Amino acid sequence: MGTTAQYDATAGRVIIDEHQGHPGIKSTTLSYGQINDEMLAMLDKPRPSYYLLLLGFLMALGLGALSLAIQVDVGIGYSGISHPIGWGFYITNFVFWIGIGHAGTLISAVFYLTRAPWRTAIYRSAEAMTVFAVFTAGLFPLVHIGRPWLAFWLIPYPNERMLWVNFKSPLLWDVFAVTTYMSVSIMFFMLGLIPDLAILRDEAVRKGKKLKALVYAPLALAWRGTNHQWVHYMRGYMIFAALATPLVFSVHSIVSWDFAMSSVPGWHTTIFAPYFVAGAIFSGLSMVLTVLIPMRAVFGLQDYITNHVIQSVAKMIIFTSVIVGYAYGAEFFIGYYSGSPFERAIFYYRPFGEMASWTLLGDNEINFPQIAFWLMVFCNVIVPIPLWRWKIRNNPLAVWIIAALVNVGMWFERFNIIGSSLQHEYDPSAWGEYWPTVVEVGITIGSFGFFFTLFTLFAKSLPPMAIMELKEGTNPPMRNAAKKDTDE
Amino acid sequence: MSKFTGVWAIFEYLDETTETIEQVRKKGVQPTVITPCPRHEIDHALGNPSSIVPWIALAFGALGCFIGYSLPAWTASDWVLPVSGKPILAIPPFTIIGFEMTVLFTAIYTLAGLAILGIIDSFRFPIPNAAKKYPRFQRDRFGVVVRCDADKLDEFEAIMKKNGAEEVHVEKG
Repeated sequence: MGTTAQYDATAGRVIIDEHQGHPGIKSTTLSYGQINDEMLAMLDKPRPSYYLLLLGFLMALGLGALSLAIQVDVGIGYSGISHPIGWGFYITNFVFWIGIGHAGTLISAVFYLTRAPWRTAIYRSAEAMTVFAVFTAGLFPLVHIGRPWLAFWLIPYPNERMLWVNFKSPLLWDVFAVTTYMSVSIMFFMLGLIPDLAILRDEAVRKGKKLKALVYAPLALAWRGTNHQWVHYMRGYMIFAALATPLVFSVHSIVSWDFAMSSVPGWHTTIFAPYFVAGAIFSGLSMVLTVLIPMRAVFGLQDYITNHVIQSVAKMIIFTSVIVGYAYGAEFFIGYYSGSPFERAIFYYRPFGEMASWTLLGDNEINFPQIAFWLMVFCNVIVPIPLWRWKIRNNPLAVWIIAALVNVGMWFERFNIIGSSLQHEYDPSAWGEYWPTVVEVGITIGSFGFFFTLFTLFAKSLPPMAIMELKEGTNPPMRNAAKKDTDE
Repeated sequence: MSKFTGVWAIFEYLDETTETIEQVRKKGVQPTVITPCPRHEIDHALGNPSSIVPWIALAFGALGCFIGYSLPAWTASDWVLPVSGKPILAIPPFTIIGFEMTVLFTAIYTLAGLAILGIIDSFRFPIPNAAKKYPRFQRDRFGVVVRCDADKLDEFEAIMKKNGAEEVHVEKG
């Protein structure tokens, strides 16, 4: 509810003033009508700059589509993936995008259950990002297998040879985890949209826009906002939040087991699940800020996405950055403490390259994994440190720069894990080297184009903020307003 | 909904709406309330109604869990793939499929349950067409709909007016 909470030391309890709103979120003092009008204004006819932005993303998407067409035509050999490096840019992108998809559900489900008031203004966009990021991630296993038209072999269906998929394989767990996560994220997103689509329908009726009303009416699923509908809806929403919470943690744990269940040095470790989950939340929240800070400036949403909201997300970024930084250190310690020469070798290789010389600046050839490692450490551990200062957290531009760099760092973290271990497994005669080819870079750029195209279209076609929840969070219209405290 | 007989009113303020609900309930009638967003005050005034959605979720979650364990168990038994003497029916890896299927089934059937309950409730608690077409209920107005016999229309109309309704509509279906 939209309240100001103040601690009254004499009374020994928190006093809630329902008529001043949340101190850090100005939108909690707006009226229902104002919220409606301001949110619907965001869906007005876009300016030319919007189309220019969309064109840029579409061009990136086109580049990706062209690259994919070349790869499908020539074959997977056109990519840099070759023995012993079976997983390259594509699986890096898969893990990266799945990670990006974690913030939405975290914000919409976990922070819903914990009643964090700052989530209201950003959860719809974050949820949309989740859906689009999981769509993007879902493309990469298809791209990676080389013959995407045979992807249905991953699904357990009765076939003429009576063969079944292997349910003991982490890769199949991934199929189930990612498809479940995608399905639940889409349903959660749609569920949240229903009352807002009814608002769009009724506003179109009120303003005499018949075509819009015709479009929104079936999408609103006959929503009227009756108490009978609300009581089922709120129960259902709570169940979705409760389901999505363990799902968030399970999905990236399962993705991490794609690696940890194997016996590859640098992968076979028990910290992978929490390490991946923390990294996913870290990158997802950074992507949320990377997208929402410019959106706030473009749409003038300072009353909704306030500095308090940005600071709250920034605090979560600090928290997950510390976990990720600790995990980096723990990996090295375990590599050393295990006594396994293979583990020690891979953790020497990641930062310093070949162990040909024992001097750091000897004849070591710096390769792609070393670049990835140092970028990862710099962007994920060093760059977020300034966020500990209130002044930096309170500066949206500074937070945006940090968040954007964290995204870069998290991409390289995924590559650091995948690329380096496969290049240097056990037998030196089976070591290899990996550099991506132009099609892999093209498809990677295309994936960003795909994600941002979808998000740009979303921002102008559906309410990017949950109008219903913003109203729920603001002061209700009262004829006889009275100050209440928590005892009432 | 041409057969609707009753009174419906539009309110600007939440406290007036809740006051009306309580007075209507004292007369032995449970009103239908239309609001732009969920409010606990309304729930309290209506006597905290419950929902069967959690039971639907539980039932189908259990079904999903059963399928999630039994599908891998059955396929593993149907095509036996022995690896290093490890168990054919292995509970830990099947737990992952069991968990995912539990979540998936619960989510799908919760959503389906919401849709079906919405349809059922629209027949159980009808509201007049004019109230359905009033476009400000999703914006910033509260609605109270009372379905009653023709001889009680005046009584409920008076309650609505007394509590500050912006508009009161009497429907004689």
